[in-house]
Amino acid sequence: MTLLSLEQVSVAYDNHLILENFDLKLEEGKLLSLLGPSGCGKTTTLRLIAGFLEAKGGKFMFDGRDYTHLPVNKRNFGFVFQSYALFPHLSVYDNVAFGLRLRKMKEGQVKEKVLRMLDIVSLNGFEKRFPQELSGGQRQRVAIARALVIEPDLLLFDEPLSNLDANLRVTMRVEIRRLQQELGMTAVYVSHDQEECFSISDQVAIMNAGKIEQLGAPTDIYQYPKTEYVARFIGFNNFLVFDGTRQGNTGLEWTIGDYGFDVQLQAGQSTANTYKGAIRPEDLRIIPLGQLTDLQKSLSNQVPGTVKVSTYLGRSYQFEVQTALGAFTVNQEMDIPIAPGQQVMITFPADKIVMVAQ
Amino acid sequence: MKINKMYWLLLPGLLFLTVFMLIPIILTIGSTFVQEGKPTLEGYLYFFKDAYFNRILLTTLRVSVFTTVICIALGYPVAYYISRLGTRKKGILLALSIFPLLTSPVVRSFSWMIILGRKGLVNNALVATGIVDKPIEILYTPTAMIIGLVHLFLPLIIITLVGVMENVDSELIRAAESLGASRFTALRKVLFPLTIPGLIIGSVLVFVGSLTAYTTPALLGGKERVISTFLYQNAMTLNDWYLASVIATIMIVITLVVVGLMNKVATKLNPKG
Repeated sequence: MTLLSLEQVSVAYDNHLILENFDLKLEEGKLLSLLGPSGCGKTTTLRLIAGFLEAKGGKFMFDGRDYTHLPVNKRNFGFVFQSYALFPHLSVYDNVAFGLRLRKMKEGQVKEKVLRMLDIVSLNGFEKRFPQELSGGQRQRVAIARALVIEPDLLLFDEPLSNLDANLRVTMRVEIRRLQQELGMTAVYVSHDQEECFSISDQVAIMNAGKIEQLGAPTDIYQYPKTEYVARFIGFNNFLVFDGTRQGNTGLEWTIGDYGFDVQLQAGQSTANTYKGAIRPEDLRIIPLGQLTDLQKSLSNQVPGTVKVSTYLGRSYQFEVQTALGAFTVNQEMDIPIAPGQQVMITFPADKIVMVAQ
Repeated sequence: MKINKMYWLLLPGLLFLTVFMLIPIILTIGSTFVQEGKPTLEGYLYFFKDAYFNRILLTTLRVSVFTTVICIALGYPVAYYISRLGTRKKGILLALSIFPLLTSPVVRSFSWMIILGRKGLVNNALVATGIVDKPIEILYTPTAMIIGLVHLFLPLIIITLVGVMENVDSELIRAAESLGASRFTALRKVLFPLTIPGLIIGSVLVFVGSLTAYTTPALLGGKERVISTFLYQNAMTLNDWYLASVIATIMIVITLVVVGLMNKVATKLNPKG
């Protein structure tokens, strides 16, 4: 069931439109990530949903009710801030109890709920501490507990992990996902970290300049980006700009000059107006030219080139290869790297080329 | 150079304060306990038994307390508004709000005399609108002193509070609102406790300032005396330097007690627990 929907929403800041006729829908119990570079409107969208910003036009429906002009404090949404925004003058206990006390709950019941919530975020025994006596990860957990304890109808996360170190980020995102699923919460999560969003979300919306470029399950987006922007954003660094099609040995081929490329189209893609192919560095293969037979050299989906740079990445090597079709980046595991200056053949597997809109 | 070898940098200032402030104060206080070569408390006993002086003391305290409370009540919302503005607007409004401090207290008081007098702006307006039949007495009353002092000290409390409020992250207010607090409740439960240190510093400045102010109460108070004008009267008009010293000592003690009490309150209410 659709719980949340933004319909044709516009938001302006200092007379500058950040969102224009923006649409978004979210099902109950799902976690949706808004992913994009800074300035793409993801935080604006989140703050609009929270009620910190007023929409200039459009409608925000939640659970069948019009929330467009409902004040923040009437929405019952939990918000987790990037800066945590813990009340520095209150103890951990009082921070978490803040929302419950505003609901005029009896102290006994408040205590029960606060202690249970601190238990859920593994902060038992920290009740009397003050925020400045906690580590970053602990503060973040207090912030989450404070947002969760009011049993919000929707949880909103604004880059909650960006102030934590790398290891803690991974632990905390697993934690957030576990809590969200266990409690059956609907959540909107904003981040600029691709891995973070993909690992915890049911749905990811990739945003660019106030618009959603693509919305879908993480695996769908990861494998089949629909636009060049999304492809670049999720690591498709190599692009083939086709100039036509022709009949090849195995069927229709896309061409760039004399080079032919066999491509597997996705469901719903037509052969008509798709002239850009994207491929990840780790999906390309390179072989030294000398190791190929003449027959192998004549196959399609191949481009010869020269290795310009070779970089050791730990698990694999990264090669910059200059070809007649431009430079390509290739990541490949190998024991002895191909030295710069060597002639190689790059292979583009047909099932790894993804056709994208420009 | 090690920091503990740099104490000599303090020497000139310390010397100046010792010679021109510390020693005179000690001498002044000391002189009040000695008369004709014998230790005595006569001066103090005389004052605390004297109904006239008690009335002056009470007026002074009343004027100071009212001035402080009114300054807080008027200054707090203004400071909140200014602290939420952008850098440019904030600069302009802060400059405007400290404008009263840049004018001479004499000029300022005279303008209040024109406004508050029997035929002044306020009375003319009140009579013309029929709110009162005949001009009411404002000038030369404690009320006039309070008005003048509020005008003088409001900027002080605004500057102090803006400084403190700027350090309160506006996300905290949003956090409180997202947890269900109305804007007012959020300000009361989050902003207010976090600005108590600033409120106390501001209150001490205003209270002590009002307590020791001379020009404003002298010009707007008429025959009404506060401690400072009474001190002046004893020293310059009556030429009684002994009583003037006693009054000065009492003022110093009151100031110290107030600052001490406020400090105690500040430590107790320290938001960081």
